Amino acid sequence: MTAGATPEGTTERQAPLRGSFLYGVVAVALAAGLPFLPFANDYIIAVAVRMLIFIALGQAWNIVAGIGGLLSLGHGVFLGLGCYAAGILFNEYAVPPWLGIWAGGVLSVAVALVMGAMTLRMRGVFFALATIAVSLALDQLARHYVDLTGGDNGLALRFLGNSLWFMQSRTPTPFLYAGLTFVIAYYWITQWVLRTRLGSEMKAVRDDEAAAAAAGVAVFRTKLLGLLLSAVMTSFAGTLYMQSYQAIDPETAFGLSQAIQLQLPALIGGLGTSWGPIIGGTIMILLSESTNWGSTKLGIAGVDILVYGLLLLAVVMYAPKGIMGLFDRRTRGAWRP
Amino acid sequence: MSSIETTMLPVLQAVLSGILVGGVYGLLSIGLSLAFGVMRIVNFAHGDLVMYGMYVGVVASTLLGIDPLLALPASFVLMAILGALQYRIVFRRFVGHTTLNQLLAAIGLGLALQMAAQLVFGVDARSAPSMFAGSYDLVGPFFFARAQIVAFLVAGVATIAVELLLRKTQWGKAVRAVADNIEAAEIVGLRSQRINLTAFALSCGLAGIAGTIMVTYYPTDPTKGFTLMPIAIIATTIGGLGSVGGAFLGGIFCGVIQQTTAMLWNSALQDVPLYFLLLVFIAYRPTGLFGQRSE
Repeated sequence: MTAGATPEGTTERQAPLRGSFLYGVVAVALAAGLPFLPFANDYIIAVAVRMLIFIALGQAWNIVAGIGGLLSLGHGVFLGLGCYAAGILFNEYAVPPWLGIWAGGVLSVAVALVMGAMTLRMRGVFFALATIAVSLALDQLARHYVDLTGGDNGLALRFLGNSLWFMQSRTPTPFLYAGLTFVIAYYWITQWVLRTRLGSEMKAVRDDEAAAAAAGVAVFRTKLLGLLLSAVMTSFAGTLYMQSYQAIDPETAFGLSQAIQLQLPALIGGLGTSWGPIIGGTIMILLSESTNWGSTKLGIAGVDILVYGLLLLAVVMYAPKGIMGLFDRRTRGAWRP
Repeated sequence: MSSIETTMLPVLQAVLSGILVGGVYGLLSIGLSLAFGVMRIVNFAHGDLVMYGMYVGVVASTLLGIDPLLALPASFVLMAILGALQYRIVFRRFVGHTTLNQLLAAIGLGLALQMAAQLVFGVDARSAPSMFAGSYDLVGPFFFARAQIVAFLVAGVATIAVELLLRKTQWGKAVRAVADNIEAAEIVGLRSQRINLTAFALSCGLAGIAGTIMVTYYPTDPTKGFTLMPIAIIATTIGGLGSVGGAFLGGIFCGVIQQTTAMLWNSALQDVPLYFLLLVFIAYRPTGLFGQRSE
């Protein structure tokens, strides 16, 4: 099981941060108590919601890319499927998102199955190219079938007022708790994957495919399982995204800058760790909010794109293990992607 | 005119236009394929160098008042220098394996280049018509834009030149040696870093030529790099990752499929069959049509 340069005991499942349980309790309490703080307003809560949703999306990407080492550059596909499936079912047939979320999940599994079956036996670069191709294909299709998707203008949910059944709300506060539930659940899933045989096998395949195969790991099946799990998680979080923002368009779902926003949390925080996407997502949203504020002040559009680009470069060149890598001496010598 | 002729003529026209358009897609792709073949680098920023090449044409035509075609050598040199800088600063450390970090570094670089172009040139679309703009040639029942014929010829000449460079010169031999086995090449005295640097600069110079020739009939804006990249990637994969001649033919193949799709089905969905074709190739023929090296 100890493939490549990753000896047992140096990986993240052995307590990445000292007292991480305590940090967890403090973080959850902070997020949950936010609406009761004196300075809280809808804007601050909305930023927190965005943070939680992107942390959840980052946690999902972290499964396939961080633990599994698969170079998915098109996870917007599953985000988009989660958004569009729930949105179209609700607008056309008044299906509540409680059911729509499963439709998005099933669709995402189907797409991931086809994509994975066709590409995961090949070298990693082909999988990366395939993920881009699928997201571009869905982008063109979503732009073209205007009746179903709203085309370039996007799809807006019919708003019915506050309703738990239809997951709609005038204020962002309910989505704060929904987002928090997602993040806690996904943290737990990440921990579970890292602890179980699946996680060990995924890491073995990531570190050295040939060695893993020689040790009896079913390489293709392991990769496919990781992709399916990550796709469903992304799609579920996508439906939450849809309910919270009440609109989606092809660029937001399948565009490149969205794909990068799905990757940055895990990359900044630390690939393959359970805390990485949480720390990274928090930093990414704070940074993006402040650059948005700055670029409106300066009157220059697109500064956030520049910041994302330079951040990607800086992380992969100078801190490939993310912030968790700076904290934890024990991950030294662990996987460098 | 019989009914077969009326249905077949537009299709044939689409195929022929596709070959012309595809030649330039080929030119977009040969540099990409070269960088992958020699260094296993998938340079997602390649499209952004094409975009800068387009702006070289725009600057030549609007600021200097000369024909963009005369700016081709300058574009090649400028992009080669930019490429060499990229190699020194970013890609040098990623030679040999296509990794997640290499792909992400290239994307990050591409985003930064795109944003820089936006700050300098603004978001508006710009074009740089050459002296051939607006003239059409009739060949039998078919018509062609002369600017596209010229572009196709430049693309063909550039591809043949690169193939000859790789096959017939001492430099080409060294590049192929480093690509095949970097350690063995160093043992016999080749300086692999320097050879890779020149190969990468050549790859980026080709992107510059592709951009400048394209802007004579296709307007540019800062997002063009990311718009053009998918076609180049598909052409490269279909032609066989790492094969220069294959990438050119892959480009033509893509052009033909795209134009006939636009003609027979829908021009808004002209790229969709290409994306599915890429998946099919990856699944059933990952070495592409002309790729020799399989790994």
